[in-house]
Amino acid sequence: MSSTPFENCAYEVRQDIVETHKDAWGRIASPGTWLDGARRLAVVAEIRQARSCDFCSEIKEALSPYAVTGAHSVTGALSDAEVELIHRTVSDPGRLTEPWTAEVLDSDLTQGEFVEIVGIIAMVSVMDTCTMALGLPDTDLPDAIAGEPTRYLPPGAKVNAAWLPIVEPEDAVETDEPLYPSPKVGYIYRGLSMVPESMRNYWALANTHYLPGEYVYQFDKSIRAIKRPQMEIIAARVSALHQCAY
Amino acid sequence: MLRESTQIAENEVDLSDVVGGLSDATNIPNAEALVNFAEAIVGRENDKIAKARQVLFDELGNDATVDAAATTSAFHGFVRIADAIGIPYTTAAQGKDVPEIREAAGVNNFYRVQEAN
Repeated sequence: MSSTPFENCAYEVRQDIVETHKDAWGRIASPGTWLDGARRLAVVAEIRQARSCDFCSEIKEALSPYAVTGAHSVTGALSDAEVELIHRTVSDPGRLTEPWTAEVLDSDLTQGEFVEIVGIIAMVSVMDTCTMALGLPDTDLPDAIAGEPTRYLPPGAKVNAAWLPIVEPEDAVETDEPLYPSPKVGYIYRGLSMVPESMRNYWALANTHYLPGEYVYQFDKSIRAIKRPQMEIIAARVSALHQCAY
Repeated sequence: MLRESTQIAENEVDLSDVVGGLSDATNIPNAEALVNFAEAIVGRENDKIAKARQVLFDELGNDATVDAAATTSAFHGFVRIADAIGIPYTTAAQGKDVPEIREAAGVNNFYRVQEAN
């Protein structure tokens, strides 16, 4: 493993990607909104553990993912609810259901913790996939940064379109700090808005790996070395292989 | 997104390739190398990834290889947010994701859609 993202990479990686990885690892190691730095890094370790979990492989292969019995292979640092959320979201995201979500939340996880963990899963999925794709090992985990979570709950967060609360653009307030670049952002952008800091952290990564929001619907422009149809055939195929209907 | 970008670029695309895999009916430059690379990454098999990456590098060079890796990576995050938060698939592409397109692409056979119906 390496402690510096893209160190010794055989390819010349865009500097904005390198910088956002460095920044993202620092943010993951810092106190979040509901989890402290040590617990956030324990989530990362569990994400990596899930990739070699035999029970997750059985679930992934099963026609009925909720009929399989067994136990996840775990690091031992997190609760059963956290483990269940992390392992299924990493291994079989396309078959998560609303009743399963309710069951996880009924265990010992708050909605805020749930959303923050999903945000970490999304960030680590992007970063570890990118390094793997370019022939590199996972980046070493940094040391945890001491401090307390902010425990900030946006007053406008409510359950409406999705299973978890979302802050609709018209419900955003100043204490949320900047949330949306436009009131017309798609629902994928709003997904983590119950934990504004997680949302901002994730989109800083997504903007450099895919496209900044202002370019997403400009189909005639390409700011990358591959054209939009080339990007979108990748996007569509990756989403389909994950059985993502969104 | 795929449909709109290909129409503007005047490429041809068969939406059923999204689920079924690339066919001759889809005519996007270097699509085979790009899709093979993306599929190998999803499969997390290092040997396949290395071979597919070399093909792509030979066809399009360093920057395109990096951007293909980055795009593939980004969608490993998007799918997990959409599916874990339970964002309705009917709101995709700012609500333009009409049922006919989902049907043509084969998305209506996905677990989440089947469970909802």
